[in-house]
This record gives sequence, C-alpha cells and structure tokens, in this order.
Amino acid sequence: MSSYAGSMYHGSPLLLSLLGPLTVKRIEGQPNHLLYSLVSVIADVVSAMLIRATGQNLRLAYLRSLESLDLVKQIDVSEFLCSGDIAALIYLCNPFTIVACVGLSTSPIENMAVILCLYGACSRLIPLAAFGWVIATHLSLYPAILIIPVIFLLGCGPDSPPRKLFLQRHQQKEVLNQSKLPPGFSWRPIIHFAFWAFLWSVYVLVLCGISLKQFGGLWEMFKSTYGFILTVEDLSPNIGVLWYFFAEVFEFFRNFFLIVFHVNILFMILPLAIRLRHRPCYLAFVYVAICSMLKSYPSVGDSALYLGLLGWFVNELADMQFSLFLFCGYVGVSLLSPVMHNLWIWRGTGNANFYFTTAMVYACLQIVLVVEGVSAMLNHDRKLRILITGKPQDAKS
Amino acid sequence: MAETKEKSLSDEKPKPRVRPIVRLGIFLISHSFHVSVVCCTAGVLALFLLPVLAKNTYISENALMPGSASPMLSNQHVSDGNRLVKDLTNPNSKSSETGIESHKIIAQYMLDLGAEVSFHKFHPQMNQFHPLHFFSSPDSGKIQENYSCSSYGINTVGIIRAPRGDGKEAIVLVTPYNALKSGFGEALSLGIAYSVFSLLTQVTWLAKDIIWLVADSQYGEYAAVAAWLREYQTPKFSSLSAPNAEMCPDVNNLFELKGHSISGSKFSNSFRRAGTMAAALVLKVRDQNEQFEDTISIYAEASNGQMPNLDLINVVNYLAVHRQGLRVNVEKLWSLLNSSWLKSLGEIFESLAKVAKSLYPKWKFGIPATEYVEGTATLASSLYYQALGVPTGPHGAFRDYQVDAITLEISPKFSLDKVWRNDILLRGGRLIEGVIRSVNNLLEKFHQSFFLYLLTSPSKFVSVGVYMIAFALLIAPLPMVAASLYVDANSSSKRSKGDSSTPSAITDTDEHSIAIRSWRWLNSAKLVFIVHLWGAIVSLLPYFISQIPDCSPTTSFMIWVLLSILSLLTLNSVLASPLACAKATQEKEWALVKSVTISSVFIGLGLMSVINFATAEIGALLMVPMCLLAQPLKLDVRAGTLRSFCRMICNLVLGHIAFPPAAFFLLKGMLDGFGNANVGDFWMWVESLWAWNSATYLFIGMVQLPCWVLCISILFHTC
Repeated sequence: MSSYAGSMYHGSPLLLSLLGPLTVKRIEGQPNHLLYSLVSVIADVVSAMLIRATGQNLRLAYLRSLESLDLVKQIDVSEFLCSGDIAALIYLCNPFTIVACVGLSTSPIENMAVILCLYGACSRLIPLAAFGWVIATHLSLYPAILIIPVIFLLGCGPDSPPRKLFLQRHQQKEVLNQSKLPPGFSWRPIIHFAFWAFLWSVYVLVLCGISLKQFGGLWEMFKSTYGFILTVEDLSPNIGVLWYFFAEVFEFFRNFFLIVFHVNILFMILPLAIRLRHRPCYLAFVYVAICSMLKSYPSVGDSALYLGLLGWFVNELADMQFSLFLFCGYVGVSLLSPVMHNLWIWRGTGNANFYFTTAMVYACLQIVLVVEGVSAMLNHDRKLRILITGKPQDAKS
Repeated sequence: MAETKEKSLSDEKPKPRVRPIVRLGIFLISHSFHVSVVCCTAGVLALFLLPVLAKNTYISENALMPGSASPMLSNQHVSDGNRLVKDLTNPNSKSSETGIESHKIIAQYMLDLGAEVSFHKFHPQMNQFHPLHFFSSPDSGKIQENYSCSSYGINTVGIIRAPRGDGKEAIVLVTPYNALKSGFGEALSLGIAYSVFSLLTQVTWLAKDIIWLVADSQYGEYAAVAAWLREYQTPKFSSLSAPNAEMCPDVNNLFELKGHSISGSKFSNSFRRAGTMAAALVLKVRDQNEQFEDTISIYAEASNGQMPNLDLINVVNYLAVHRQGLRVNVEKLWSLLNSSWLKSLGEIFESLAKVAKSLYPKWKFGIPATEYVEGTATLASSLYYQALGVPTGPHGAFRDYQVDAITLEISPKFSLDKVWRNDILLRGGRLIEGVIRSVNNLLEKFHQSFFLYLLTSPSKFVSVGVYMIAFALLIAPLPMVAASLYVDANSSSKRSKGDSSTPSAITDTDEHSIAIRSWRWLNSAKLVFIVHLWGAIVSLLPYFISQIPDCSPTTSFMIWVLLSILSLLTLNSVLASPLACAKATQEKEWALVKSVTISSVFIGLGLMSVINFATAEIGALLMVPMCLLAQPLKLDVRAGTLRSFCRMICNLVLGHIAFPPAAFFLLKGMLDGFGNANVGDFWMWVESLWAWNSATYLFIGMVQLPCWVLCISILFHTC
C-alpha cells in the first residue's frame, strides 16, 4: 500500500522506510515507542555535538577577526563565554527539545539535518554541507532558503564584523596588509557545493523513486509532501497561526492568501541577506526563526532549533533588550497554550479563540525575538565601528 | 493640536522620535508605584462591585422553550410515586442486611413500567494521589486486587427508549439512595423520580432516552455516580474486576432471583447504555427543613470551579419560580449575611447610585443594600466553592465528561400529612418533567449560554467578561512593577560604574560587563527556578507520606514540613547556594530577584485564572500585595522614615498571612472560630484537595508557596 494513502503520513518515503519499522518493533517488556524515541535522543545528542563544534568554530573566527582589527585590548577576551558549550546546553536542556522527543515527532531528525548543513558549511566540508542541505530540504522544504547563508559561509567564511571595518582599520594605520584582510568572495567552493548538492539530490530522488515505484512515483511524493506543506490542507490546530486563518478564509480567496503567506517568507530573504551578509550563521538563525514562525505546520521542535542556534551568539547579543520579557513570554505561552487547548478540546468551556490567542502571542514573541536579535547584532557591529574609528557616528542604518 | 505640538517638538530636536506606545510604556513604568496603588484598589473595589454589576439571567437557547407546554404529570402518576415511597419505607423491605430488597423493589417497579433495567455493581475507589488529573480525561479506573465482597455498591439503572429518538442521546436523572439507612427524604426523591418516570414511559414527545440512575450512596453519592459514569463512558475490556464482584454470593443471589421471578422481561445482567448525555439532573429531598416555604436549592459547582451551562440553571429557575411557585436558593455564606460593614458598603453603593440617577436618569445600576448583601454572600460562596475545586454534589462527576449537570435539593416545609406529600410529589415531579421536556427539545449540546460565570442569586450572574476585569486590574501592576524594577536594577548598576570610573574608561568598563549586563537576571531566574522546583517537590511529597500506614494527620503534617525544609536546604546547598553567590556579585540583586519573582507570579496567576478563576482571584488578593511590597527589611530599617516603617509592618503582616497554612487557619478561624483549630486540619484539607483532583492544590504548592518563600528571602536579604 502506498505510504501516502489516506492522510496518515506526509513525510519523506526514505524516512518512513528507515524509521517506520522502529515504531512497530518492540523489545521484550518495553513499550513499543522506545526504539524510536531512542533514535530521537541520539539525533538530538548528535545535533548538540555539532552545535558545539560549530560554536567553537564561530568563536575562534570571531576572536581572529578581533585580533586582526586590533581590538583585543579594548575587549577583554577572557570574559568571552564559550558560545558552543552554551548553545549545545541550551539545545539539550530546552524543554521544547525534550517535548519534541517525548512526542515522537520527526523534528529532531529535521533539526539534525539543518545543523549538519550549517556545520559542514562552517568547517568547509562541502559534501557534508550539501548533504545536510539536500536532506533538510527533502524532509521539510523550508530549509531550502538556507542555501543563501550556506553560500555566504562557503564564499567568505564564518561570521565576522563587516568587511568595511577591516578596510577602515587598515586605512587608519596606512599599512595595507593584505594578509590581515579577510578573504574576499570566492566562487570555487560554491561551484563545488552546487555540484555536490546536485549529486545528493539526484541520489535522494532516485532512492525515493525506487521506493515509490509502484505507488505513483515521484509526482505522488511531491504532491503529498511539498504540496501538503504549501496548500495547508490540514487545519487541525497547532501552535502556528495559519490553521486558524485558513479555517476562516473564504474558499475563493484561499489560493490568493496561500500565495501571500508563502511569499511572506520569501520577501524577507533578500533584505536580510543584504544586511547580514557578513554574518552568515546569524543569517541562518534568522531564517530558521522566520520559517518556524510562518511555516504551515510549525512545532515546538522548530523553536528548539533556533533557540539552540541563538546560543552561538551569546557574546554578540549580550546587549539584547527585552531578554527577561522574552523569557517570561516563552515560559508563559508554553504553559498557557496546553491549558487553553485543554479548555477548548476537553472541557468544552472555551473555544478556538482561546487557543488561537496563545498561538498569536507566540508568533508575536518570535517576531520580537527576531527584531531585537537583529537590532542587537547590528548594534554590536556599530559598537565595533565606534571602537575602531574612536568617534560615534550618527546611526543611519 | 497635539499632533502639531508633537511636530514642532520633533522639529526642534532631530533626535529619534519615540513612538507613542513606547512613551506610554515608559510613563507607566516610571510611575509604577502610583499606577499599582490605583490598579490594586480598583481591582478590589471592582470585586466588591460585582454584585451590583450582575445581570439578570435569560434563556439563551431558543430551542429550550421552558414552560411552553402544560405539565402532563397527573395525580395518577403521583399516586404511583406514593406507592413506591410506601413500599420503600415499609419496615419489611429493610430486613436484608445489604439493602438488596429495596433495590429489587425499585427494579420491579421500573420493570412494570416497561423500562429496561440493569444493576451496576461497583467498588468504591480509594483516594488516590493524582494532582494532574484535572488536566486529563478520567481513566477507566485502576483495577484493584483486594476487593472484598463486603464493600460493593449496587446502582439500579432504568432506561426508557424514546419512541421518537434514534437512541443517540439521553437525559440522566439521578436519585441517590442509601438502602441501609434511608431517610424519608430519599424515599420521597425516589417517589418523585418514579412519578416522572412513569409519565415518561407513556408520552409520545420523547426524543431522547431517559436514564434513571438510583445511585447507591452508602459509599458516598459522588462515588456511586462516578463509578457508573466511568463504566458508561470508558468501558473496561479486561475481565478482571467483573468476575471478582460476581463471585460474591449476594450479588449472584440478586441476579438469580430476578431471573426467576421475571423471565423474558427487559431485565439484563449486562451493563446497559443509551446515547450521549445531553444533561443530567440529580434530585434530592432534604429530611429536615427549618424554612416556612418549599424551597429548592441548586448546586452547580463541579471540580475545579467548572460550572454547567447557565441555561440549565436558567431553565430550572424559570420553571421552579414561574410555574411551580417554589423558592429557589443557591448556596450562600451565611456568616456574611449579618456583617455590618457589608451592609454599610451596600448602603454606600445604593446612595451613590441614587446620586448618579439624579444626575442622569438613565443610569440605573443601583441595587438595594439588602439585596447587595445577599448577592455578596452568594458570590462569596460561589467563589469559595469554585476555588476549593471540590464538587458540591454528585453532579460533579458528570462535568468531568463534559455533561452539564446540577443537583436539585428540594426542602419541603415538613409535615407528615398525605395532602402535603402529594403536593410535593406533584410540584417536584412537574418541575422535573418540565426540565426534561426542555432539554428534550435541544438540538445540539448546551453551548449557547455561559460556562464561565459566578452566581449572585439564582436569577443573576456575573459573566466572565465582567469578573475578569476585576482580576485583570488586580494583577495589572505585576508586569509593570517587574519592568520598572528590572530597568532600575540595570540602570543603577550602569550609573554606579560610570561614576566610579573616569569618562575615558567608560567604554572599557562597558565592555567589561558585557557578558552580564543584559542577561544579569539569569542569576535571579536560577534562584526562582530552584524555588519553584522545590515547590514541585513539596507538592509531590504527600504522595509518599500518604503511603505510611497508621499516620495521624498531625504527624503527617509534621513529616511533610520537616521534609520540605530538608529538601529546601539540600537544593540550596547542592545548586551552589544561589543566594550567597548572587550577593557577592551584585549589589541590587534583590530588585532583580523581586522582578523575576513577580514575573513568575504573574505567569502563575494568569495560568490559574484560566484553569480555575476563583482560586486565582483569591490567590491574587493574598499574593499581589505581598509581592509588590516586598523589600529588604534592612533597607527599611536604615531609611527610618514613616513610609518605610509602614511598609515594614505591612511586609511582616503579609509575610505571616500569605503562608498557605497560616492563611488556611485564619480563614478557618474566621468561619468556625479559633477554638478547635488543629495542626492536622491542614493536612486533612490538603488531602481532600488532592483526592478530588483539585488544581488548587497544585496552585498552592507550585505558585503560592514558592512565591512566599521568595518574598521572605527578599525580606531577609542582606544588602
């Protein structure tokens, strides 16, 4: 029988053939979801290790760029926190990660693919990055936009202060030491990446084609995975906002609003990419956060991912505003939302609006997080510039 | 005007313009003291205004049409009911020790009417510790091994199939009955139910099945109804418990006898079901009555302050008052009725309303002072029972399955003459008939009217939209004060650093504190988290303590207190004694701790207001002043002004009152007098809370207690 018969499964056929048997098989005397939850736990631990390695990479790159800017004296480097360790800890201890694991969702595996892609790009393992990107896109479509940060990462290396600052610094000293400048954009690794991405996607598609040969082939797969994501067919309540909207919208406007909502994500890609091009990992974080806010079937696993990635930038984001407010908001919403759901579905004394309120608050919190995070990062860059030029400039951006 | 002014201002200063909403936020935060005083006063005042703001009830669902048909219950049915009452009160029927005889009589009567009859045997469930139970649906019940034959109850269930229905919906009528020591009241309630039942077997308009449950109340009315509902809604597929009960000779005896005497009839051994329940009525008749007219009391509070749909109460109230001429009562706190301060408050409101009316004739919101006092007493009891989270009757079991149910308790003016008995049978029966007929008209579930309300009289209610205002006003200062403290603590540390260092080094020190500046609160958050963790541990401890055999409440309570203190000390030392290390690093630590505490209290209260409003309201009345006022005593002593002295006194008093056991004993003392207060009482009370799955228990353990501990730690902070 086709795995897409009915509306039980809308994921990748490869994932099903790998993990499907695990959900059925059982060890003597143990509950039968044990094996699959073990896989989720392993995936999460691997993700945390990759996050740690990437974080250390980023920290080294940051220190190196500070050194080349001669800012080491002004900024006490010993105060710097180990961002990799913090990020990994945040990812592992986050209740959202644990809940996603307990709920036997596939998001640990999707998150692992995304992190694999970023790790590969940071440590310039191009085949690994391409593999992560292809698998992440194959599993949930939205990570496709991560190709932009990956290109920047491969092209100019990991996060660093804007290139302009380096030029200014060296103009001040009037010695143009080329070796201290960060390397410019290079196309070679990107062509490599494109080649590997092509190779991996052909590989994945062929595997999918083989596994779905009798059941309508690849077209069937695209229709019930990507199509299902893009047309928002399932309107059962989740922590996102789209289900409510599309339950309310008139049928003949549906297509229009589908386009509007999906283009929403695409609209934000370009401006952010221009503004944050010197910090590709941060760009990736912002993209992941925006996706988890606007995707059609969000889950807490997505939040777990971007909150973990946020840990990479503890040093840069030390001045972030509203941190206590955001923290309390996340705690409050994550407690209130199950209660509202209970009130609506179980007790029957509430209605859909009760639950949707928490979903809206959650979306707002994510927006505030992204806005404040980006502005804190830009402020950080501005502060570095002030330290270099020695005089505060009028903030124009 | 304002816009041009703003423009000219912005022309003068080319600085980045602050948005109005941000400006408003800054204004509120900088004046947080005044704002919080105003908000809290307004919140308390609004709470006392609620009886004035109560609206008259109205029947929201058109399909109900109460009282549109004339009652069909005739004297014939009443005499049928009378016959049953006589048979039951007959001393011969009480010969059997288990009271099986009377169950047989009832079953026989039901069978004679042509109803399907079955017996349901159940074992009373032990009190179990499941504090999160309110959140999930009831399970099918644990199967216990050690059932003894001596402790089981028998519910008699009669079902009339509706001639016009499809058997998918049902209305339930429950009469608790204790066959061993039944009073005359219980027999009378059976009589009323029987007369209605006998009418309903004949009528043609019935569209929903009628289930008459005679609940065996020898182990409590609630337990019997809950056991039957559990069996009805979540059938057990394991065959473990059923044979257990069947092995008992008495029960077998019962079935055999039945089988012999009435073969081929509608009696069945298996559990019988009808459709989903549209509504349920629990009918009781009180034995003694001190009142001079026939009254009917409505009990509606189910577990965790859940209420049935208001329409159900409306229908009963309308039919009882306007058709049957019965007085309708809801529970009141009687001690409040004679309080003079409440009366004077009511008079103030009344005179205010008069003044307002003289100013503008369309403002008509005043109610007479006596009515105000009664409304407040009813509201207080409504709040109290909702806050307790313990159902006020067997109807509570239905609400757990989303069935609207109320208990009607008829208290007739007592006399033993036969005319009177017939009269009460007729009027009670007609009331029940009318309600059933109305519910029978329903096309959907009850959904039109309110689920979230407080009653101030049987015909007046305060809806969620009104009472939430009082609550929101009360807790509105919390986020504001938290924000202002947070901003204060952050800016003060910056300022002190700026002062101490030369201007050239400012940027340097800024960079130096880079890692802690914006995330300084994390340290306080850790402390708050640890205390809440401790709260969770404290809430779980009774589970283990209750396992200790032969433990008196007082010793249990003592063990609990000791273990709690021990666990607090252990947590404090294991997790690197957060208070000490925080003190070393930051000077305004207490402000941050207070800020995070207030935030957590805000979250907790907001959460609780959704789960159980009444608990949150009462908790807020206790906790909000305590949280807002908390300040290190040392600072107050050092300041030495009158204001700080007042604050110190307030802090000390609140610190004593808001401790949950202290608050409990104070309330208990106020209600019953301080004479017989016992330390074990608190344990008993807490035990009843967790046995009834009350969320209040969790609230006390995980919100109020940690908040109190944190406030105390702020009070004794050495800064």
